[in-house]
Amino acid sequence: MATVVTLPRLSDTMEEGVIAKWRIKVGDKVKRGQVIADIETDKATMEFESFDAGTVLKLVAPEGEALPVGATIAVFGQPGENPDAVDGGAKPKPADKPATDKPATDKPATDKPADEASESDADEEADEKPAKASAKPVAPKPQPESVAEVKHAEAVNEASAAGGDSPAPKATSQGTGPEGQADRGRIPASPLARRLAREHDLELGQIQGSGPHGRIVKADVEQAIAKGPTRAAAATGTSAHVPSASQPAGSPAADVDEHGRPYISRPDRSVKLSQMRKAIAKRMGQAKREIPHIYLTMPIVMDRAVALRAEFNLSVDGTKASLNDLVILAAARALRKHPRVNAHFTDNGIVERGDVHVGVAVALDDGLIVPPVRFADQKTLKQVSIDVRDLGTRAKEKTLKPEEMTGSTFTVSNLGMFGIEEFCAIVNPGEAAILAVGAVQDEAVVEDGKIVARKRMRVTLCSDHRVFDGAESAKYLQTLRKLLESPLSLLT
Amino acid sequence: MPILQIRQAIRDAMKEEMERDERVFLMGEEVGYYNGAYKCSEGLLDQFGAKRVIDTPITETGFAGIGIGAAMCGLRPIIEFMTFNFSAVAFDQILNNAAKLRHMTHGQFGVPMVFRGPNGAAHMLGSTHSQAFEHFYAHIPGLKVVAVATPYDAKGLLKTAIRDENPVLFLESELMYSVKGEVPEEEYLIPFGQADIKRPGDAVTVITWGQGVPVALKAADLAAAEDISCEVIDLRSLRPMDEAAIIKSVKKTNRAVIVYHGWPNGGVGGDIIARIQELAFDDLDAPVLRVCYEDLPMPYAENLENLILPSPERALEAVRRVAYKR
Repeated sequence: MATVVTLPRLSDTMEEGVIAKWRIKVGDKVKRGQVIADIETDKATMEFESFDAGTVLKLVAPEGEALPVGATIAVFGQPGENPDAVDGGAKPKPADKPATDKPATDKPATDKPADEASESDADEEADEKPAKASAKPVAPKPQPESVAEVKHAEAVNEASAAGGDSPAPKATSQGTGPEGQADRGRIPASPLARRLAREHDLELGQIQGSGPHGRIVKADVEQAIAKGPTRAAAATGTSAHVPSASQPAGSPAADVDEHGRPYISRPDRSVKLSQMRKAIAKRMGQAKREIPHIYLTMPIVMDRAVALRAEFNLSVDGTKASLNDLVILAAARALRKHPRVNAHFTDNGIVERGDVHVGVAVALDDGLIVPPVRFADQKTLKQVSIDVRDLGTRAKEKTLKPEEMTGSTFTVSNLGMFGIEEFCAIVNPGEAAILAVGAVQDEAVVEDGKIVARKRMRVTLCSDHRVFDGAESAKYLQTLRKLLESPLSLLT
Repeated sequence: MPILQIRQAIRDAMKEEMERDERVFLMGEEVGYYNGAYKCSEGLLDQFGAKRVIDTPITETGFAGIGIGAAMCGLRPIIEFMTFNFSAVAFDQILNNAAKLRHMTHGQFGVPMVFRGPNGAAHMLGSTHSQAFEHFYAHIPGLKVVAVATPYDAKGLLKTAIRDENPVLFLESELMYSVKGEVPEEEYLIPFGQADIKRPGDAVTVITWGQGVPVALKAADLAAAEDISCEVIDLRSLRPMDEAAIIKSVKKTNRAVIVYHGWPNGGVGGDIIARIQELAFDDLDAPVLRVCYEDLPMPYAENLENLILPSPERALEAVRRVAYKR
């Protein structure tokens, strides 16, 4: 019996992954526990050890394509077995979906076959044929809808969910132009909408669906009928309009140089989102939408800290502490004194975290990750320094384990090495604050009525105003300043 | 026109038929001296005597079988189940004798009789006494199944049932016996297989029967407040079923919701959907939804029972969904 290998969930937040590299090929004998692929998740590239044994019959997932957790990536079995025998049932399984993800019950499982049967009549729409043909090679792009259908086939209690459930995600591809059609595969439309479109000689591909999953319903077709004839006219109208409109507007003058030669125009470049960019986009978007940020900036005189670090590195073997390590340590110690800053907001209340794990933002080629220095408040400067270096190196190699990349309770982000004086960062969801650290710079400072040269650094505490207010933030920054301006205490 | 409760309409139907035809008699638990567990046979013992109004022991298999035998021999029994949940004990009699004898004897014997009583969930009767039996009986060729929701329908349909030449399952509802309505004084009959539009509308067809009717009507009120016009069709008879009325309405509204007591798996709700998709496929603008029990045995606890029973709110939600409103 052939076994379907599915894309595993390799971290808590992983929703999709990319086979970075296959380590097996068709015909290989695979043992349980053998590394069969490198999988790129939202956080790292990890080795995937097989849960199953057998001969590789088929590698379904191509390298480099994003797939949802649970998608079929390979088929194992006995040599000579037909891998396609299981293919049909090997569509993405909803097993990993959370239980709250109710089936979209307005889409009876029988909808499709019934629909298709009727459409195979002689009066089949012309637009159906290319769509169907292309559906095969493009094949099982696992969309939410198909998952819902699989689930639905099991969840027979249709009526129960009628009581109220989630709005189903809109159809993934809403392309309305004829060129968009190939991507849409079979176009979801109610039987009535199909009939009306047929009777009015409208192509479904030209109509935008407003129902669940982008289903075209009666109202959509009626709307299309209403403006049917104007559309074709409008299409030709606008294309003819563009150049003529641009002439009198006068703006094209800007598109030529003083000799009247046009500037070179280059096409836009689309960049596929990496798993990490997707994760960053999601979490940062969430943070900015949900967290009311407040920003307070504190200047800190760093002369003593700079001196201490130099001396420390000379006298303690095998370490090369950076100023940032000192800041991380000071930030962690200060959190002990201000537990509210080491917290996070929930709907049920504020949770002050018992442990201090300071996340260190590490910039990578395309994104960043924030591995935590665990129990940073209890570590020595030397240990913090070792940890930070190790995390940074391995983050760049993408070899950190998932558990090494999560769990921070507070974050330090330093852009000082780029000469940034000060900046505002975005709070990491699940934390209450992030410390944005600027560059240490020589500045003219007035002390006791005299102008003196001092090394100054600006730090900005960016925090969740729901968890604490400006005064608490200021007090934390005062504690931090005291620790860094009298840094010997950090060695205790 | 006099205003009667459903229980009085049922009583009047039996009384008039017993006066009209001396072959008609009533048999069941507490139908005589107690005047019926729900007072549906009030006064009948006094009027017709113990030969025609017969109290039985708690022996559903027995008195259902005696009724079938009596019907085969030319009488017209009305068998009252104190609730249709107890008919489960007599299921073999109904399935294999009442439904099949005309067929098996090549018409030498008919079984003209009525099984009647309250059906479906009432209020906190627990899992074994809260079941809807139309889904079992409507499955069986040889039976007719009727469910009533108003005094007018109850009287007209019960008289038709008593005069029918075949076994009829006549489903009432414990919580609806005191529902009041106008009933004409002059005699009338309601033929089987005729649905009644309880509320006209043009946006969503809501198909229902029996205890589902008040739920559907309330949901239609709520929907009207949101500017969704529901046409509520009370099927009244489930076997035979007024397919034409359903299809006519669905062709008008392009969408349907079915509200009923009973579980979602199998059953009359799914059967109606099958007919709609077969006969009105090209007129559907949305999937047909059902609002019925959750797929669970009925809990005794009131709060849990309320979650499982079809409610106007759940029906409204389904109406919104098929109307693509939210």
